[in-house]
Amino acid sequence: MNKELEHKFVTELQDNQNIVHKVCTLYTNDRDSHNDLFQEITIQLWKAYPKFRGDAKFSTWMYRVALNTAITLYRKQKRRIDTADYESVIFKIKADEYDETEELQLKLMYKAVKQLNDVDKALVFLYLEDKNYTEISETLGISEVNARVKMNRIKTKLRTILNP
Amino acid sequence: MTDELELLKKDWQKKEFDVPKLSYDEIHKMIWKKSSSIVRWILIISILEFTVPHLLYLLPSMREGMEIYDNIGVSKYLVILSGFTYLIAFYFIFQFYKRFKEISVLDNSKNLMKKIIKTRKTVKYYVIFSLSMIMVTIIIMVIGVYLNDNIVNAFPELKDSLTNISPEKLKITIMMSIGIFGVILTLIMGGIYFLLYGLLLRKLKQNYSELRNLTI
Repeated sequence: MNKELEHKFVTELQDNQNIVHKVCTLYTNDRDSHNDLFQEITIQLWKAYPKFRGDAKFSTWMYRVALNTAITLYRKQKRRIDTADYESVIFKIKADEYDETEELQLKLMYKAVKQLNDVDKALVFLYLEDKNYTEISETLGISEVNARVKMNRIKTKLRTILNP
Repeated sequence: MTDELELLKKDWQKKEFDVPKLSYDEIHKMIWKKSSSIVRWILIISILEFTVPHLLYLLPSMREGMEIYDNIGVSKYLVILSGFTYLIAFYFIFQFYKRFKEISVLDNSKNLMKKIIKTRKTVKYYVIFSLSMIMVTIIIMVIGVYLNDNIVNAFPELKDSLTNISPEKLKITIMMSIGIFGVILTLIMGGIYFLLYGLLLRKLKQNYSELRNLTI
């Protein structure tokens, strides 16, 4: 692997690092695990980079590798320390942009999403990233119909978590 | 709920996550770190599984132990058996390599999980095969002891201390010891193996069945 490729990769990842941070935020509960997962995703992206031919956008390709790493390859157990602190920092909601009810609603929603299982989180993540059902189904390897059904079930699940 | 999720989506997309952005150098440093993915672990454990049992034969004490096979008179069967074992082992290594190469992080999630599980299954069958071969070796030894008419000569170091025990009794004791030793060895090795992989792949299996159950 030559220097030029290395430079190109690091620059592109640096520009798009928000995607990876979002995945890490969903799948980990403290700063250390966050960084750990970020590193593993970076390694996997780099290893796969020579196969990335630019026929898709770099960011599109990142979604797949990042999610695959989070739900399949990443081995470490989720630690449960510092959860509250971490979440309040990560999901800091800018108070001036919402009224109080909305703010509270959002906080609860983020909390509820964090309680979902790995696969459900992946669906929600892609949904929040405004991916359509074709993309969601292709990323996860399920049919489009299944993706829709699953998404509806997740909505029900979230409703149950929010209104026990 | 749909509205709430839409609200979340709006917030999510404009959200600049409040985590320190990594610099060029920090990312650059990361790409040369060693991966700790389960695929890497499977590779390491599998290589150990393929090599460690064979390395044991290089220990001098193990080689001395081989003389017992000669003394019991079963070494020629065990040579045939180990030839057969190696042949099968190479087949497994080839299969493992082929499947391992197919694992790609660019696959969709379900396929990726399927391929990892398939690769691990190859190792699992190899381990089951190896454990069975240990059992077969034990059985051959027990039969060897049973058919041996001069069992005291087979264990020269026992000769002095065991003069007052009848050969029949000695034979049964030796057969029992070998048998029990074999079963315990097999159980321990099998136990370690399944525990190791069970822990390693628990999360992956959960997620895989989650995705698979969707396919109606």
